[in-house]
Amino acid sequence: MTTTPENPTDSFDLEGEFARSNVQAVLDKLDRELIGLRPVKQRIREIAALLLVDKARRSMGLETGAPTLHMSFTGNPGTGKTTVALRMAEILKNLGYVRQGHLVSVTRDDLVGQYIGHTAPKTREVIKKAMGGVLFIDEAYYLYKPENERDYGQEAIEILLQVMENQRDDLVVILAGYANRMEVFFQSNPGFRSRIAHHLDFPDYSDVELFEIAKIMVDAQHYVLTPEAVKVLKEYIPRRMKMPHFANARSMRNAIDRAKLRQANRLFGRKDRTNLTRKDLTTIEAEDLLASRVFQ
Amino acid sequence: MATGGAGKKELKGADRYKAGVLEYKVMGYWQPDYVPKDTDVIALFRITPQPGVDADEAAAAVAGESSTATWTVVWTDRLTAAELYRAKAYRVDPVPNAPDQYFAYIAYDMDLFEGDSIANLTASIIGNVFGFKAVKALRLEDMRIPVAYLKTFQGPPTGVMVERERLDKFGRPLLGATTKPKLGLSGRNYGRVVYEALKGGLDFTKDDENINSQPFMHWRDRFLYCMEAVNRASAATAEVKGHYLNVTAGTCEQMIERAEFAKELGSVIIMIDLVLGYSAIQTISKWARRNDMILHLHRAGNSTYSRQKNHGMNFRVICKWMRMAGVDHIHAGTVVGKLEGDPLMVKGFYDTLLQPHTPVAPELGLFFKQEWASLGKCMPVASGGIHLGQMHQLLHYLGEDVILQFGGGTIGHPDGIQAGAEANRVALESMVQARNEGVDYLAKGPEILAKAAKSCKPLQHGLDTWKNITFNYASTDTPDYTPQTTTSR
Amino acid sequence: MHENPRNMTQGQFSFLPPLTDDQIKLQMAYAIKQGWALSVEYTDDPHPRNTYWEMWCQPMFDTKDPAAVMTEVTECRKVYGNMYIRVNAFDNSRWRESVAMSFIVNRPKYEPGLALSRTEGPGRTIQYRVHSYATDKPKGERYK
Repeated sequence: MTTTPENPTDSFDLEGEFARSNVQAVLDKLDRELIGLRPVKQRIREIAALLLVDKARRSMGLETGAPTLHMSFTGNPGTGKTTVALRMAEILKNLGYVRQGHLVSVTRDDLVGQYIGHTAPKTREVIKKAMGGVLFIDEAYYLYKPENERDYGQEAIEILLQVMENQRDDLVVILAGYANRMEVFFQSNPGFRSRIAHHLDFPDYSDVELFEIAKIMVDAQHYVLTPEAVKVLKEYIPRRMKMPHFANARSMRNAIDRAKLRQANRLFGRKDRTNLTRKDLTTIEAEDLLASRVFQ
Repeated sequence: MATGGAGKKELKGADRYKAGVLEYKVMGYWQPDYVPKDTDVIALFRITPQPGVDADEAAAAVAGESSTATWTVVWTDRLTAAELYRAKAYRVDPVPNAPDQYFAYIAYDMDLFEGDSIANLTASIIGNVFGFKAVKALRLEDMRIPVAYLKTFQGPPTGVMVERERLDKFGRPLLGATTKPKLGLSGRNYGRVVYEALKGGLDFTKDDENINSQPFMHWRDRFLYCMEAVNRASAATAEVKGHYLNVTAGTCEQMIERAEFAKELGSVIIMIDLVLGYSAIQTISKWARRNDMILHLHRAGNSTYSRQKNHGMNFRVICKWMRMAGVDHIHAGTVVGKLEGDPLMVKGFYDTLLQPHTPVAPELGLFFKQEWASLGKCMPVASGGIHLGQMHQLLHYLGEDVILQFGGGTIGHPDGIQAGAEANRVALESMVQARNEGVDYLAKGPEILAKAAKSCKPLQHGLDTWKNITFNYASTDTPDYTPQTTTSR
Repeated sequence: MHENPRNMTQGQFSFLPPLTDDQIKLQMAYAIKQGWALSVEYTDDPHPRNTYWEMWCQPMFDTKDPAAVMTEVTECRKVYGNMYIRVNAFDNSRWRESVAMSFIVNRPKYEPGLALSRTEGPGRTIQYRVHSYATDKPKGERYK
């Protein structure tokens, strides 16, 4: 992967290589899984193109050394960072930049121990599991706690930095979290910033996109919204967006889960519950949504 | 299919026990509606009936003669639960492409047999019946041993996994060689061959089947010199080494005396011949379990009854009995060497020795589903006319749990015995390495060997010497299997 | 006469030229593909019955890539580069539950091998003792 081939070639079939890599299939899958996120998807396409051209250049002996592939994904909760990371791992595998293509997702607790001497083995264990794939560190800034100068997080950071530099062939690291806090984190840990090649910013969804996301979720679970319920959902979304702890797609999932709960309760409370139809079981009514605290 | 004899029903009650001679079928030994119990022993015979005897009657006769019947009716049957003790022929299929032969399935109640006794089991199944006049020829093809009966047997004293752990050798076939010439070497000269072969890189060396205690070399002398060689080689290589000391003798007492001496000298393995007989084999197997000794079995004599297709018994039945009786190694064919062995049939033997359960696989000659009830695995040994140039084929056909024995292929090496052993070990290790690396080693075998030979002169000379040696004769014992055959009963 | 030049040939590949790191990784990849757990062990005593080499780390049950195991081998070589180091693969499936592969990935620069001593008994019998020359010295001073 990193060495110049013994016999550099004079031509490279970029089209054929792209087709063989199946990257388009992964991008299509991402399109189906995630509504919107146009800028993110655009960046992924660009990265894929860059890696493909890198590969072509290497085959002609024009490039040496493994490219840096570590990334940062910034954005609010529920904006699709984990899903994109999964697909990114797949793309990197298809293009031959990681060998296995699996994703290991961790937070500070998985890397940092509570007692002296515990952190290094924990971090190394996680890195070993992720090797050949992608290590996704959510809310990475929690690794760094300047208020406590003996915090063990620093030990994990040092090990990570070393691996990110020396074993670029073996592991791709993605750091994720809120944009502003990541910015502060990078300022105090310039070592990370310099090792990260691609910054992807995940925008919040618009209310229209959130409605689409909710609809896909409802369909996938074999439920149907009545026309009244659709109307209520469209009112629900902008209200929810203004409330605290809003988490984009995740808030949509929670809203639907609660509506399902209320629907079940409603059915259970019915007098004729000995004779429920398929339609009864699949329909979500306006009242199942209206009961939400959002409307109070 | 039930050829002929239609309408002749089983007799019951007083008529059945009137003095005189009845057809076996009528006496209750042919029961086409019988469904074998999980606890039944089932035997599959290939029957060639005498002209004029229909297949059902021949099958019933075999069932009768291998269980309770005699030539005439006896009233004393009525003092027993005779229906239970009668073996029941319940299915007869024509053999594909053999017009006068039939496969007969016969079920025996487990209570017909003593537990933990191959001798008792075989005295029924292959006792009188093979000389029986109603059949022109008879061959025992396969058996299904019920789990309950298997549980009465000890099985291999060591088993493949424990053997590997004791030897500290994993992830590759083991290598062995039989000391040659078979006969005539003195103890001192014999040990020289053992030392050279083991130090050169083999894991085991072996006495031949007919090396016991002859005028040219008495057994104690052989044991002492061989153990000197084994220990010298072990110190020289930091590996556990072994020589199969053949303890076969005229009496069981002598056999045990020899085994005790092998133990006293610190040998990890002893050896016996199949011609010892089943009781002696079970005796030494139990001794081996008690004394942490690996037990190697040479199948001397089996071809006298296993090779011809229409009479005798298939070797896979010997494999089953020996796994039950309890041996750790058994010679089971090479596919490519000098001795009989169709590749599919050999795979059937190997599966029988190594698998925890074997499904019905007519293409391998396995007629029954067999659960092995946690009996240990028995290591197959491939010996006879194999050489290092075939290493890719041997690994492909025989797998990893096997002992490859290159007797001539070690001792006959132009640069000496150590060179021969080293050449075999290098050939084997390079082939395993290539296999693990994902190389198509079966197709590229010769290339892999040629490459390995660049840094190993003995391998190069070995390849030059034996590269064109093959034994391409048609096998006499092949599976009778036509996938389209419709079976009836 | 041709003589086997090696005096410690435990493991699957001891008769081949020492495996390169890339070749080692290919063997590890094979083991991982079979679902086996790899482990790294070292010793200063090559006696054939020395079953329990020191464990460098826990067996790696959840590792997906050879690079992770190679990292441990590299670390182990840094500390015990003048000892024997082997990689084992463990298969925990029923009917095996044992070691499936074992090969040496590091050797001391000088390998003194093993000594054989004999104690004669009655009836021309001999009790043999095989022992590593290295173990004549105290721990820490072997292979210097």
